[in-house]
Amino acid sequence: MEFHDDFPQYEFRDQHGEAEGKIQRKRLWKVFWIMLGITIFELVLGSYAASTGKVDKMVLMTVFIGFTILKAYFIVYSFMHLGHEVKSMKWIIIGPYTLFILYLVFMATVTEGNYSKTHRVSGPDKVYPAPVEGASEGVPAEGEKK
Amino acid sequence: MSDHASADYPSNWGGGVSPLKVSYGKLFMWFFLISDALTFSAFLSAYGFMRHKFSGGEWPAPSTVFHHFPFVHAELPLAYVGLMTFILIMSSVTMVLAVEAGHRKDKKDVMMWMFFTIIGGFAFVGSQAWEWYHFITGTEAGHWKDLIVDGKVTKTLVHGANLTYNEYGNSLFGAFFFFITGFHGFHVFSGVMINITIFIMVARGVMEKRGHYEMVEKVGLYWHFVDLVWVFVFTFFYLL
Repeated sequence: MEFHDDFPQYEFRDQHGEAEGKIQRKRLWKVFWIMLGITIFELVLGSYAASTGKVDKMVLMTVFIGFTILKAYFIVYSFMHLGHEVKSMKWIIIGPYTLFILYLVFMATVTEGNYSKTHRVSGPDKVYPAPVEGASEGVPAEGEKK
Repeated sequence: MSDHASADYPSNWGGGVSPLKVSYGKLFMWFFLISDALTFSAFLSAYGFMRHKFSGGEWPAPSTVFHHFPFVHAELPLAYVGLMTFILIMSSVTMVLAVEAGHRKDKKDVMMWMFFTIIGGFAFVGSQAWEWYHFITGTEAGHWKDLIVDGKVTKTLVHGANLTYNEYGNSLFGAFFFFITGFHGFHVFSGVMINITIFIMVARGVMEKRGHYEMVEKVGLYWHFVDLVWVFVFTFFYLL
């Protein structure tokens, strides 16, 4: 086998003609319409839930997070062309990130989430370190009376 | 898949090929994007955690905070942020069309779609500035809050939001809003700047001389990532 001591010459392989381009553009626009549809649905559902308060919070969270992950899949797979890369490339990108996210979710929901559940802060928050200037237009604050 | 045909292995071990079939520039753009994605994940999970922790208090519902729309004097929750999302998705599509035109080595098409992408980017950054303006100035009525003035807890009329307090509720809400959307907005801004640079390079025929438009693909990756982050910010900050 030949031995190279210079850097591998990369050949740009993603080139195509007009016919293939037409198919790809059609696919891209389709993805766009799907994403737009999802977003409009999310907006309608969100404002309906906000104005009536009838929708269960758990249902809302599941729907929104599910649709978000679906949209993320479309962007990464189609727009960022990860779907067309070789298998090992896909795993190098998705694998470590997914591992980290699973750990983050575990932390936020199980360990730290349980802590904050038992140490939940309630009532209006009162302590602000900064003195306010110009914010007290209605009634003079006590500090300003002096 | 044919990518893993056993016949390929000897040549891979011998070097001189790229087993992932991507250039190092594209590969490292991906690595950079992963690290950036980890940063944003940390921000958003910190936001969710703090919101959970202070949910017994007065954490504001985003739909009651962001309900302004330009030229309309009605309360339209989520409409404006929906418009911003539309702008960003739209510019993402024009970017991917520029990448596709680059694959066809069509200089005129690349320039046209990149131009639309840049316009979309500016529109988004401008919309964000408008939203920040309304968040900072707040409502005319304001809100009475307990603030510490000269070491004493004092009832104070508060308008709008800043990093230490805001009229809508918990002070952390404002801090997280400025930090997360600000960090994302700065990404969009730098994305627009990079896009302009590449646009000029394309216009001067640099890519034509190189024989391929891979640089357009690399900035495309960055731009789509910015859109990807916004999809998550949109859900976790505005919808939930």
